[in-house]
Amino acid sequence: MRMFENCKERLNPIVLTAGLIAGVLSAPVQSKELNIYSHRQAFLLNPLLEGFKKQTGTKINIVFASKGLIQRLIAEGPRSPADIILTVDIARLQQYANKGLFTSVSSPTLKANIPAHLRNPNGLWYGLSKRVRVVAVSKDRVGKDEIKRLEDLADPRWKGKICTRKGSHVYNRALLASLVAAHGEATAEKWARGMVANLARKPQGNDRAQAKAISQGICDIAIMNHYYYFQMKKNKNPAQHKWAESIRIVFTNQGDRGNHVNISGIGLAKHSKNKKLAITLMEYLSSKQAQSLYAEVNYEYPANAAVDASREVKILGEFRADQLPIATIAKLAPTAQRIIDRVGW
Amino acid sequence: MFADVLNRRRLARDPVDGWSVTTLILSLLLIGPFAAIVVTATGDSGGLWSHLMATVFPRYVANTLWLMLGVGVLSLLFGIVTAWIVARFTFPGSKILEWTLLLPATVPAYIIAYTYTDLLEYAGPVQVFLRDMFGWSSAHDYWFPEIRSMGGAILVMASVLYPYIYLMARTAFRLTPASYFEVARLNNRNLPFTVDLPLARPAIIAGLALVLMEVLSDFGTVEFFAVETLTLGIFNVWLGMNNLTAAAQIAGMAFIFILALVIIERRARRRQRFNNTSGRATTLPAVRVSGGKAALCIVLCLLPIILGFVIPVGVLLSFVVKGLAITNVDALLSATVNSLTTSLIAALAVMTIATVMILVTHYQKHPVLKALTTISALGYAFPGAILAIGVVFFAGGVDQVAASLGASNGILIGSVGLLILAYVVRFQAVGHGAITSGVNRLSPNIMSASFVLGRSFTSSMAVLAPPLLRKSLMAGGILVFVDVMKELPMTLLLRPFNYETLSTYVYQFAKDELLEESALAALTIIIAGLGPVILINASQRNKI
Repeated sequence: MRMFENCKERLNPIVLTAGLIAGVLSAPVQSKELNIYSHRQAFLLNPLLEGFKKQTGTKINIVFASKGLIQRLIAEGPRSPADIILTVDIARLQQYANKGLFTSVSSPTLKANIPAHLRNPNGLWYGLSKRVRVVAVSKDRVGKDEIKRLEDLADPRWKGKICTRKGSHVYNRALLASLVAAHGEATAEKWARGMVANLARKPQGNDRAQAKAISQGICDIAIMNHYYYFQMKKNKNPAQHKWAESIRIVFTNQGDRGNHVNISGIGLAKHSKNKKLAITLMEYLSSKQAQSLYAEVNYEYPANAAVDASREVKILGEFRADQLPIATIAKLAPTAQRIIDRVGW
Repeated sequence: MFADVLNRRRLARDPVDGWSVTTLILSLLLIGPFAAIVVTATGDSGGLWSHLMATVFPRYVANTLWLMLGVGVLSLLFGIVTAWIVARFTFPGSKILEWTLLLPATVPAYIIAYTYTDLLEYAGPVQVFLRDMFGWSSAHDYWFPEIRSMGGAILVMASVLYPYIYLMARTAFRLTPASYFEVARLNNRNLPFTVDLPLARPAIIAGLALVLMEVLSDFGTVEFFAVETLTLGIFNVWLGMNNLTAAAQIAGMAFIFILALVIIERRARRRQRFNNTSGRATTLPAVRVSGGKAALCIVLCLLPIILGFVIPVGVLLSFVVKGLAITNVDALLSATVNSLTTSLIAALAVMTIATVMILVTHYQKHPVLKALTTISALGYAFPGAILAIGVVFFAGGVDQVAASLGASNGILIGSVGLLILAYVVRFQAVGHGAITSGVNRLSPNIMSASFVLGRSFTSSMAVLAPPLLRKSLMAGGILVFVDVMKELPMTLLLRPFNYETLSTYVYQFAKDELLEESALAALTIIIAGLGPVILINASQRNKI
């Protein structure tokens, strides 16, 4: 705003008003405060933070955005107020690490709570919850064991039967990256081409919309993240209960590498002014108390192996998760995007 | 000779340099974020282009052009026809239609996309009704247009974007001197096509330019409708391939494309003048119509209002009535206050800056300043999130300088001031369009007369600009106001901690396609836009 001042007197009232508001909002920082840049919406994050706020008396400030927080952090450089970064997928988490925006944390608590394949070997980031990308099939129109592997979706017998959101969505890109890791780029591309040829309609909507399409008979098979199933069941809108009731959740590849899993995760900002307190928060989020909230509130699988999935989620039964180091998914994401462009998913 | 005298007089008595420098600094401030994008684009794209050209790029370009063409034609039809009807005729309800035609401007495009899908998809009430009525049992029994398509995107975008054209064209039609019509009538010419449209061309083009830039930069609607445009490509390259450089290159190309369109259009009417040299008293009075003609006028005006306002608001209301909306009064209230405050400040800032820059470049005719002013008003052509990146990098540079001067925490990033700057950068196009079409209509004699009377450039501007440009200022001001109310990607990224506006509040739910839950906030965006629209429209009608 100072720049305006130099150039023109008549702008003064505007400058003053804006400056005033800015001043009020960026009031002096108190000692017990943590600043979070989050890719997860604040209303989903707050329930997880309540316990920490009560226990430590810390005030927590959040900016939520889905794109560009990396660039904001880069532009802020050493002046950045951010202490903690939270993401909802591995690719973005790894990008913060690649750009040198995280600082490594070696906390025995975090190491004990989070299994090795769900954290960065150098402690740059830690996974907090697992999000399982499952196949949803119509209860009525697809038999119990007809789909067993992700690879089955490319079988021409399912022509015109599959619905998905766009391939370039971060969840699908990660899924395809897991196929690249399993079979190599050429085979993964062949799979993608076959799957796209089976689509009932052009890719659209989000995961929930695919379940809706199954309930409407537009298609029989969809790819979705497991927790949407429970969110639909609990939604205020009774129509969504029907969508959930029309589908059955299938964990894929149980006989071989296991079902693809993505993570939401956390990292400590390199220029955090409150590193000690920030690490306390990271440890808290990996603790039993917070991890069971991840399970209860968002129906995600806790990253902490000592914490059970929520009662609702348990009805899906035990499943075998792909043990691929999660960082590999992030590394292969650009390759997956190129395949997506080539096959037009 | 006379002009020479005038010039010398002006130069001798005027702090012209001060104004030129002001304009220069303002334009550089506004161009700063574009420059940051250009710098980003100069990096190495890692050989991505051959991949893009061979795969998705041609499709993205074609889709973008079709969308621009479709939305452009449909919003011209909606905007010009309704503006002409309202300006030339009075009929029962015409006073009400006049301002209700502006209402669709208050509806964010991503919300209208959502509501139309809810209404027209397979499970929506329309298709359910049809199935019940005709006894169809599945999607295979009948054909119904797919709303998530190019056609759907064209329809919903034109339905909320036409008010840009309507408002600008209406102002121009109203100000057309009656003498022109008298001449045309004596020559037995078709009035709308020989007088109205040619004279309103700068205003209509200004509106159309805004519509096309909005189409080019839109992400929410095309993503929702799965129409693969350049903007979608930009995001895939940026977020999917971790390649911000190539993303900035695509955005830069789209920007150059818009710049080329602006230059071509300007060349085409280089030799034309649109000044109104007669007084206000001689504009054409509206003709009273009744019966069939009045009915036709009403139907034509109602159509875009129903499409762009009644239907989406109806759907949102039905969510609220069904009890699906979350009603957190405190959060809504503070978000409303934030939205109103920033929108008001941004509207004032944009209109003030646009007026100064255009008056200075119009009357001082400095070619470099004129070019800079034009370029500085093209922020609208960048997708909001990309422009936000430009703004944040630019602000990072400013903060670094500030830090070296002692403000160790920086002054811009994380402040509401940065949000305002971002809005000004993005919506300068709107103010620029409104003021330019207003200034083009002013007679050059007015300023000259003022100089002859001994007034300096500064005092001429201060005395003459507010009354003569009042309508344009108001028109531009409303549009900036409602645009800022709706703005999402820049607000999301650049806002301070714990700061919600109505659009960020809506987005946190809409992100997961849970618009039902934010229906009340979405309605508030629309309602908050209504007040200013109605007030300002009323003031537009008053004669000076």
